[in-house]
Order: sequence, then C-alpha cells, then structure tokens
Amino acid sequence: MAGRRALKAVLIDLSGTLHIEDTAVPGAQDALNRLRQAPVAVKFVTNTTKESKRSLLERLQRLNFNLQENEIFTSLSAARSLLEEKQQRPLLLVEDSALEDFTGINTSEPNAVVIGLAPEHFNYQTLNKAFRMILDGASFIAIHKSRYYKRRDGLALGPGPFVAGLEYATDCKATVVGKPEKTFFTQALSDLGCSPSHAVMIGDDARDDVGGAQNAGMLGILVRTGKYRDGDEDKITPPPHLTCNSFPDAVEHILQNLRGRH
Amino acid sequence: MRSLMVVLMAVSSFPACVSELKGVILDLCGVLYDSGEGDGVAIPGSVEAVNKLKASNLKLRFCTNETQATREKFVGKLQRLGFNINVSEVFPPAPAAIAILTHRGLRPHLLVHDGLLPEFDGVETTDPNCVIIGDAAENFSYQNLNQAFKVLIELEKPLLFSLGQGRYYKETDGLKLDVGVYMKALEYACDIKAEVIGKPSQMFFQSVLSDMGLQPHEVLMIGDDLVSDVGGAQSCGMKGVQVRTGKYRPSDERHPSVTADGTVDDLAQAVDMILSHRGH
Repeated sequence: MAGRRALKAVLIDLSGTLHIEDTAVPGAQDALNRLRQAPVAVKFVTNTTKESKRSLLERLQRLNFNLQENEIFTSLSAARSLLEEKQQRPLLLVEDSALEDFTGINTSEPNAVVIGLAPEHFNYQTLNKAFRMILDGASFIAIHKSRYYKRRDGLALGPGPFVAGLEYATDCKATVVGKPEKTFFTQALSDLGCSPSHAVMIGDDARDDVGGAQNAGMLGILVRTGKYRDGDEDKITPPPHLTCNSFPDAVEHILQNLRGRH
Repeated sequence: MRSLMVVLMAVSSFPACVSELKGVILDLCGVLYDSGEGDGVAIPGSVEAVNKLKASNLKLRFCTNETQATREKFVGKLQRLGFNINVSEVFPPAPAAIAILTHRGLRPHLLVHDGLLPEFDGVETTDPNCVIIGDAAENFSYQNLNQAFKVLIELEKPLLFSLGQGRYYKETDGLKLDVGVYMKALEYACDIKAEVIGKPSQMFFQSVLSDMGLQPHEVLMIGDDLVSDVGGAQSCGMKGVQVRTGKYRPSDERHPSVTADGTVDDLAQAVDMILSHRGH
C-alpha cells in the first residue's frame, strides 16, 4: 500500500457483519466503539432493503450499537434519489416496512418498477404484472441484485434472482442502485468529503461488499460471518485486501495497520 | 392485395424448401390453441389444418414444452378442442426428463405444476440430488423457489434441470412468465448453468426426429416462439417457420440472431402454402 494516504472513512455493512437478524456478532459493539475513538468517519451502508432507515436504527440501538440515523446510507435512499431525479412514478415491490423511505413519492399510474427484497411480492401474479409493465416500456430499477442472504432458518433468496429472471423475460437490463454499484459507494462517501482511496469497506458479501468497494477504488475486508461461505474470497479478482473471522478482527486490523498510515 | 404481396415476399424462402419435405413438427400452445381458463381456445383454422396434414403423406409430430399437465390430460384437452391428435404423437419434456433421471440415477426435488406431478409417480424423490423445474405457474411462490434454492445450494455440485427455457407465453388474459425466467433466477442465485430438457435443446429435437425416422433437412418445424421453436429447429438442421399467433411479437421479424425461414399469419396459412406447393 505504498503511496496510500491516511484512512479517513470506514464503511460497514450491517446484516451479516454487525448482526444476524436480532443477534449481534460477538464483540461487535465494543469493536465499533474502539473504531470510533480513532480519527476516522464511520458510515453504515446496507442493501437491507426490507427495512427503513429508522427501523434499521432501532434494531441496531436495541442491540446496543452506538450510531445515528444520518450515518446510515441504504440502497433505498439511492433508489429514491434516482426516482426523484427522473421524476418517475414507481410500482414499489418492497416490503411494507420499507415504504416509509418513499413517503411523498407519487405512485399513481406507475411508469417504473422498483424491486427490492420483498418475498411477499415475489409471487407469480405480481411478477407477471411487473413483467408486463417493463415489456410495455416502464423503467426497471433494482435496489440491489444480491443472490441470497442469511436468515435464522438458513440461506434465503435475495432480490437478485428475481431481477435476473425479469431481465431474461424482458430482454431489458435493470438499473441497479445498491451495492456493488460504484455510484453507491461514491454516494455514501460524498457527504463525508472522502475519496474512495481514503476509505475501507467491511462486509460479509465477497462480491457486493468487498468486490464492489474495491472496484470503486476502496480497500475491502471480508468477514467470515453472515452469508460467508468457504472459498468466497477466491470468487473475486483482485482478492479481498483482507479476510478475517469477524468484525472485531477487521477493526483490530484497521487500528493496527491502516490508521494514520502515510 | 398489398398485405398478401408482403406475406408472399416474406415467405419466399419457405415454400421453396418444401418439395423435399417428408415431415412436419408442430408446436402446440400458440400454434394450435391459446391457453387460458378451462381448455383455452383453438386458433381459427388450426383444427382443419391438422386434419389436412394428417391426410397428406407428411409425417406429423407435436413437440411441446407444455409442463402444466400430464400428456394424457393435455392431449385430452386438445381432443376436446376438436383436434385429431394422439398421445403417441406428442413429445413433451417430462417423459424425457424421467428417462434422464433413470439413466443417471438421480432423485429430483420437483418444482412443477400440480397437474404434472402424476408423470413423476414412482420416481424416487427422497434425499434429492438434483432439482427439476417446469412451468409451475402459481406454484412459483417465493417459498417454493426458496426451497428449490436450498436443495441446490446444499449440493456439492448443484444440478438443475429446466423443462424448457421459455421467457413467456400468451394466455387469453395476457402474457405470462414461463419456466425460463425461474431457471435464470436459480442459475443466478447458485451461479450455475441449468441443463435444459425440451425445446430448444438439440437432444430433444433429435429424439422426435428419430421417432419419425427422418433426417433434419427433411423436416419443418412450425412454432410461435422464434428462439425456442424456430431457432432450435434450425440449429438442428431443420427448417423453421414462425406463425403470427400466440406469443409472436412484430419485433421477432427483426431479431438480431434468429431469422425464420418463413413467417406466416397462422397455422392454416402455413399448411395451405405447404400443401399447395406440393401439389396436393
């Protein structure tokens, strides 16, 4: 890392990295507090699209994590910005709990399809409706395209497979706004006034967290919690900057090796 | 008059290839009938067209990716719609899939339409080591797809069979997503490639040709799906003609990679052109 300037920001994934559903990763709260004592900005970036920022915040605070709502940047925020910019009226295939992040957006006579993680909408009838709209020219926005995520009862399909299926059906590429898109990471860093070369990303998803961040010019640290499966670090090129057991080890590495390095 | 001229010009390569023709393969849904509530509806002129082909000296088979019912059930439906058709003339993917399972000693997890399940009676499905998906329609719930995903992701080498790979088909109330969409979803989720059983797989077309005892260049395929019916048949060495019924869309006639040997309004027109060219 010769020539690399001092680390200024750490982006941290939530689900699978800090917690799995309602259980914190052991030692993660203390590790976050240690990280906050270092002179680096911290931001929480997530593709957990089934929850609004407020409900994410409440869950993390219940688990005794120390953070503020304005430190959270989600793929829902990124989707909302895109709809506002293009002045589109979406059919929102997101869980009810995520709808509050779209408050004020006009959804009558929709001319766009927005797909998040919404198992109760991923039935045959609703997907057919989305399919027909896209075929008739509606724009197609995917909040993210992750393959699967970890639940207490095991792995479960993410929105990615349904987006890939609709892309095949319609011969249209979705505009993806969440991780691993480069613009997602640069948007997350922009209000910190930090360029990607001064930032590191910690996450459990080799492609979406680590690969995406590294593609945007950041360093990526992969943790072996959440959805991590053996050999995931070999699925991306270049490989992760570091692969470690869990979030506290990642923080330790940052404090020992990256902080204030010139 | 002008529209007739356009049709004749568009199909100029098609009747010319018919003189050495010895057999015809027809797709079912979108060519003979449109599916929908109940039995669906026969496409006008198609019952008579099938009768004319049967009265000619051409061999006739039906090749379908239909996986919502057993062969007996949907042949019965076609007979009720007025078609002269027998089970032994119809080639759907499920029986081909069962032959593969037996040959390779596989036990499937099935994500198929309830109507297809009787085809798999007697097939061992405990402790599955592969997944078979068909056009499951309403059974394509998140929960069912997730269950198939979990079976696949637990396998050392995930093995997915898809009964066809169609994008969508037309029912009387509009276009509906087909099995290919869910195949792509599981392929993407598990980072694998499915093995397709049914059109446009060459092996599938070959099994129909060998039942007819004909060479590919002696056979014409007529279907409404440009890529699966026409493109699939052409890549086996057959001729392929598309009908402007069923899932046909005008953009098919400007497709970047598949060009039909002919495009006709419907089956009735295709059959009349074939037979009048042959001097029947």
